[in-house]
Amino acid sequence: MTDTLHVLTEIAMRFAALSLVAIGGINAILPEIHRVVVDLEGWMTSAQFADLFALANLAPGPNAMIVALVGWKVAGVTGALVATIAACGPSSVACYIAWHFADRLRQSPWRMIVQRALAPIAIGLILASGYTVARGADRSPGAFALTLIATATLAWTRVNPVWVLLGAGLVGLSGFA
Amino acid sequence: MGLLGFGGVLPWARRVMVDERRWLSDRDFAELIGLCQVLPGPNVVNLSIIFGARTHGPLGALIAITALLFMPVGLMLLIATVYASVAQDPLTRNAIAGASAAAAGLILGTALRLVLQTRPPLRGLLTGAAAFVGIGVLQWPLLWVIPVLIVVAVAAERHATPRQ
Repeated sequence: MTDTLHVLTEIAMRFAALSLVAIGGINAILPEIHRVVVDLEGWMTSAQFADLFALANLAPGPNAMIVALVGWKVAGVTGALVATIAACGPSSVACYIAWHFADRLRQSPWRMIVQRALAPIAIGLILASGYTVARGADRSPGAFALTLIATATLAWTRVNPVWVLLGAGLVGLSGFA
Repeated sequence: MGLLGFGGVLPWARRVMVDERRWLSDRDFAELIGLCQVLPGPNVVNLSIIFGARTHGPLGALIAITALLFMPVGLMLLIATVYASVAQDPLTRNAIAGASAAAAGLILGTALRLVLQTRPPLRGLLTGAAAFVGIGVLQWPLLWVIPVLIVVAVAAERHATPRQ
């Protein structure tokens, strides 16, 4: 019991801190979540992490659901709730406060500067997320090929991502990946 | 709305809030999204907070975020439970392996698309590459890397922006 409590506290504190640096959304903090739950704590393997990520993308709901899934995998339903609240709480409060200054922010020249400065960092972090998930998922040439195809599809077409995932799942049935 | 969002909620949010209910104009929506992207945290969650707060104050914000998050969490747990019970089946394992590989490509493709769309200047390419290498390849702790990168990027951007 104390073990579960320890794990829950750990999740709450880690995710709450990450919440405030999640520039560009949850995808920005995926590598760090991976580092904590796979490398530091050993709560799951890199491949399991990639599976959870695929699951979070297949199911409806905000992308942030990956956080709930990680919490669930580590500490069940309570873990899912704690992880979700920790990951969304602090940033939500920050957002609520920022909203009250929105009008003043709109006038400030700093707003554009900060926005332009942050955008590339956010993209770099998304790229890092993709790399992290790929390291866990690509254990065969077939899987690597699927990753490449999905990358190209997303970058240059407007196909709904869900079809890409389902298609890859079907291809995978044959043991291709 | 939380339940509808296959592959992310944002496109759905726009459709319902702008096209169907006319709660916001297209311009308002774009501006809100811009603000949400600068703020940390999931964009859609931030959007729902600002929107809820705008219409009904703090209570509105709380209701909006609860509705957005807790329905999908419930459904997700259901799916996760099913997943756990079939995860050992070899066929299922194969399918999930394929989907995971594609899921990695989905994020890489999103990033690539953003680079192509925004065409960041050299300083942006450098800070973006630093974020990728530091976090993705070297796996340095995010809580260290991000604040340093933000300071550097803002300073570079300030330097490049002509003073009024």
